[in-house]
Amino acid sequence: MRAKIAPEDFIMTGNRRRRFFINKPLQVRYMFAVAIPLLLICCTAMFGFYLGIWGGVLGAFTDEEMRNDMLTASRMVEYEQARYQPSKPSFSVLSLFRETDKLSQRQQEVLQGILNETNRAILWKLLLLLAFTAWGSIFISHKIAGPLYRFSKVFNEVEAGNYRSRIFLRKGDEGHPVARELNEALETTDRLLSDLKNALRDPNQAQALTRIKEKLDRIKTSADV
Amino acid sequence: MFRRSLCFLLIIFLSLPTTVSAYIPTPEENELLTTIERDTLQYFIRLSDKNTGLTRDSSRTGSPCSIAATGFALAAFAIGNERGWITKEYAYGRILSTLKVLKEKAEHQNGFFYHFLDARTAKRVWASEASSIDTALLLAGALLAAQYYPGTEVETIAHELYRRVNWRWMMNGSKFICMGWTPESGFLPYYWDSYNELMLLVALAVGAPENACPPSTWHDWLRPEGNYNGHRVIFASSGSLFTYQYSHAFIDFRGLKDQGNDFFENSREATLANRDFSMSFSEKHKGYSENSWGLSASVGPGGYKAYGALPGGAIHDGTIAPYAALSSLPFTPELSVAAVKFFHKSYGKSLYGNFGFKGAFNLDKMWCADEYLGIDQGISLLMLENFLNDGAVWKKFMALDAIKKWRAVTGLTTAPRETVSPGLSSGAATQAASPLPQ
Repeated sequence: MRAKIAPEDFIMTGNRRRRFFINKPLQVRYMFAVAIPLLLICCTAMFGFYLGIWGGVLGAFTDEEMRNDMLTASRMVEYEQARYQPSKPSFSVLSLFRETDKLSQRQQEVLQGILNETNRAILWKLLLLLAFTAWGSIFISHKIAGPLYRFSKVFNEVEAGNYRSRIFLRKGDEGHPVARELNEALETTDRLLSDLKNALRDPNQAQALTRIKEKLDRIKTSADV
Repeated sequence: MFRRSLCFLLIIFLSLPTTVSAYIPTPEENELLTTIERDTLQYFIRLSDKNTGLTRDSSRTGSPCSIAATGFALAAFAIGNERGWITKEYAYGRILSTLKVLKEKAEHQNGFFYHFLDARTAKRVWASEASSIDTALLLAGALLAAQYYPGTEVETIAHELYRRVNWRWMMNGSKFICMGWTPESGFLPYYWDSYNELMLLVALAVGAPENACPPSTWHDWLRPEGNYNGHRVIFASSGSLFTYQYSHAFIDFRGLKDQGNDFFENSREATLANRDFSMSFSEKHKGYSENSWGLSASVGPGGYKAYGALPGGAIHDGTIAPYAALSSLPFTPELSVAAVKFFHKSYGKSLYGNFGFKGAFNLDKMWCADEYLGIDQGISLLMLENFLNDGAVWKKFMALDAIKKWRAVTGLTTAPRETVSPGLSSGAATQAASPLPQ
C-alpha cells in the first residue's frame, strides 16, 4: 500500500516560475478580459483627476486680482512679441481645456509651460504604472494559468492510465481546494485500482473474484443503470 | 499762330495747380468725428492719475501707466483746451503737474523713460525697458503741449526733458537707435533699422539740441519696397497700419521729399493696400468688408497682436481695430469716414463707449474688446484733430526748432504743393496747402 499523501504535500515550495507564459492564449485572453479593462478604468480615473486638478488651477485664474496680474504680465510680453518677433499660433495640449480660449497668448504660454513640466513628470510615472500593470497582469494570470496547466497535465496522465500522478500547486496559486479534492479522488481511484490489481495477484481465483466483486459493488458506473 | 496759342494754353494749363479730388465731410460727418474726438479725450481725463498725471496703458483694471499714452495725454489736454472742451486752468494744470513728475520723480536712464511706470510712484514696473520709441512719443506730446503754451513753465520743462535725453547713448555704438535698455541685461538686441514708426523717433533724435544722433541715423535705415494690388509701399515688417500713422500724427510729411520718397503718399498707399488686403479675405472673415477694414496692432481674441497686411507680416484672424481706419483719415478721408460711420452705426452699441471706440472686434468669434488702449485713443485723437482742425497738430509740431533742425541736417526738401484741401488747408508759411487726395 502506498502511503497517504498529506494535502500540504501537494504544495510546491518554490514561488519562482521558469516561464512568464505557461498557457499563452489563456493568459493573453485573461489580460484582455480583465487586466486591460482595469487598466482603462485606472487611466480614465487618472485622466479625470488630471483634468480636475488642472480645472482647479485654471479656475484660480478667475480670481480677479490674479487674473488682472496675469493679464497685465501677458500683455507686457505680447507687446514685446508684437514689436520684436511675431509668434505663430500652434496646436497644444491646452486645447483640451476650453476655458483657455479666453486666456491671452502669454497666459496660454505660461500654462503650456506648466503643463509640459507636469506632463513630463507624470509621463515616466505613467510608463512605470503601465510596466507594473503588465507585470501584474502576467503574475495574476500565472496564478490561474499555472494550476489549469497542471490540472490539464494530470488529466492527460490519468487518461493515459497513470493513476499515481497528482496535482501539485505552488503556494499562492488559485485552485488549492479543488486540487486537494481531485487529488483525494485520484487517490481513492488509485487505491481501488491497486486493490483490484492486488486481488488479481491472489492464487485463489474464487477468493480473488469475491474480493474484486466486493470492491466493484461499491462503485457506481454507467453499467449499473 | 495756332501753334503758339496752343503752346501758350499748354503752359497756362501746366502752371495751374493740379486739382485732386478732395473729400469734404458733411456736417453730420463732422459732428460725428468731433464727438468721437471729444469722447476720446475722456480716456486721458479719466485714466490719467490725478497726482502724477501718468496715463494708464489700458482701461483694463490693473493696467500700469504707459509713457507713450502719457505723451498722447499731454497732447490731448492741450488740444482739448484749444477746442474749448476743457478749461485752460485744468488742461495747463494737468500738463504741468505731469511734466514735473516726469522731470523729478519718473524713473529714467539717460533721459529715456521706462515703458511702464507705476501710477502713484512713477517707478518702473513689470521689468520694462527704458524705451526709445515710447520716450519719443512722450516727448512729442510734451513738445506739442509746449507749443500750445509758449513762454510758460510747461514749455520750459518740456524742453528740459527733451534736452536731457542722451540719444547717442541709445545708439550703443551702432548706426541705429536701439529699441531699449534694461538694468538687468543692458541694451536690447533690436534696433530701429528699417521703416516703421521710427520716423518720429529718429527725427527727434537727429533734431535734438544736445547729444543728437548724426544725420546718417536718418539716412541709413532701410526703406524696403513692396507691392500689393498695385500699391507700391515702403513697408514695415509687421504691415500694421499704425506704423504708417504714428509719425504722421505729429510730423506733417506732406510735400517732404526724402531720397525721392513721399512718406505721406506712402502711408496713403499702405492704407489702401491694407484695405484691399482685408477685402480680399472678406469671404473668409465676416468682419472684413469695404467699410470694415483696418488691420493694425491691437488686442484680439487671443491677446495683443501685431495684425497687419501685405506688404509686410500680414498676420490676421478677422480682427479689426477701428482706430486703424480712423487714424488714416488724413490719408484716405472718404474711405476712413465711411468706415468710421459704419463702425459707429453697425457696432456702436458694443464697440463704442464713453472713451470713443474700443480696441477691436472680431465677428468670426463674436468678440468685442471690453477695453480701450491709451495709444489707440491717442493716435485717433491726434489724427482727428489734424483732419478736423486744419492740421493743427502738424502746424504746431512742424514749428519746433528740433523739427526744423532735423529737416535741415537731413536735407529733406519740400516739394511744391498741388492744391488746397477743403478738409485741410495750410497756414504754415513754410508749406503750401496740401490736398487730402482720394
